[in-house]
Amino acid sequence: MPKRILVIPCSGIGKVLGSVSREAAFQVLEELRPRETGTLCLARLTLGDAQAQEEVRTHPVITVDGCTKGCARVNVEQAGGRPAASFCAAETFRRHRELRPKSVLDLGPGGKALVGRLAEEIAVQVDRLLHAPEEEKDA
Amino acid sequence: MPDLPRKKVGLIACSGEDHPLGTLSRVAARLVLERLRPDDTVTLCLPLFLAGEQNERAFARFYPTIAIDACGVGCAAQATARYSGPVVRAINLEQLLAGLGISVKDSWGRELDEDGLAAAWEVAEIIARQVDRILGKEGRKAPQEAPAAAGEVATCSCGSGIPVLRLNVNGRTWELLAVPAIFALFREEGRAPSPEVTSELLAQTRLYNAISPQDEGELAEVLEATYRDFWEGRLKV
Repeated sequence: MPKRILVIPCSGIGKVLGSVSREAAFQVLEELRPRETGTLCLARLTLGDAQAQEEVRTHPVITVDGCTKGCARVNVEQAGGRPAASFCAAETFRRHRELRPKSVLDLGPGGKALVGRLAEEIAVQVDRLLHAPEEEKDA
Repeated sequence: MPDLPRKKVGLIACSGEDHPLGTLSRVAARLVLERLRPDDTVTLCLPLFLAGEQNERAFARFYPTIAIDACGVGCAAQATARYSGPVVRAINLEQLLAGLGISVKDSWGRELDEDGLAAAWEVAEIIARQVDRILGKEGRKAPQEAPAAAGEVATCSCGSGIPVLRLNVNGRTWELLAVPAIFALFREEGRAPSPEVTSELLAQTRLYNAISPQDEGELAEVLEATYRDFWEGRLKV
């Protein structure tokens, strides 16, 4: 049975793209690839929780950040994980300027569409990792 | 005139992705930030304590901070204490909602339904009252109507550049938040170094830094000498 792929968003609360990252991750986890993916609380990694650290070290991880500070990616790396892929909502937004999110609490139609684009990109990456040789999943 | 940072309360939500109350923690925090106490609160993304820089790690030492955690693990409270500074209040939503008699739905993990949103508002109002208590504004009536929701009005502190003065004196390192802005303000007001000015500098510095009583004497000397250097143009901060 293939390893479950962890999708870990930054869930940034200060900027709207943090909400986009969180929503996109949930869309992959619950709708697009519910059987193939799982997640964990990023806050637990930040805290240095041993079980969370073990999980990111033993599973392929996809990080989904809102901004270029890359908190999800950095926290996974500091916990000893090596993200197999890293996404950034700011980068997706740069390619889809017309999809402007409204606010942190209410993404609005543009933000929701942006979530959809990002979620699709993540799902494609999930599929790639599922069919990749073992060494690529850990890369 | 430079803006001296105004005292605000920091809110750190765990946003736990894998917990039914993770979304409620962030929604409640945002309701306080955007609707209930927009002028008195500020936030920072929790994982930024590790990913960020010195300014981000100064957050809880600069702002008295309330941690809003989904569960008893208390990631927001503990991580804030570990990487920044101790929080002044720690909220455990599982406990709080149980005390309020509110049943948690698994579906709240991603999105809050009407009941979830009502619970978030209840929590937000509790947090807002704690903000008032911390700032000494108790008894203030919470705004009933939210400000226009169209724009972002809440303050995110990431990259805000909290001014910090670092000094090495007699082998001891002092890291003093807000002091550069305080110095600039005093100089603009034409306040030449004197024992009275040193007392006022110490009082202002105390607002933004935890100073133990036994350190006050030494700190006063440090501030006096440093401000004199600043006043006479020998030091830039």
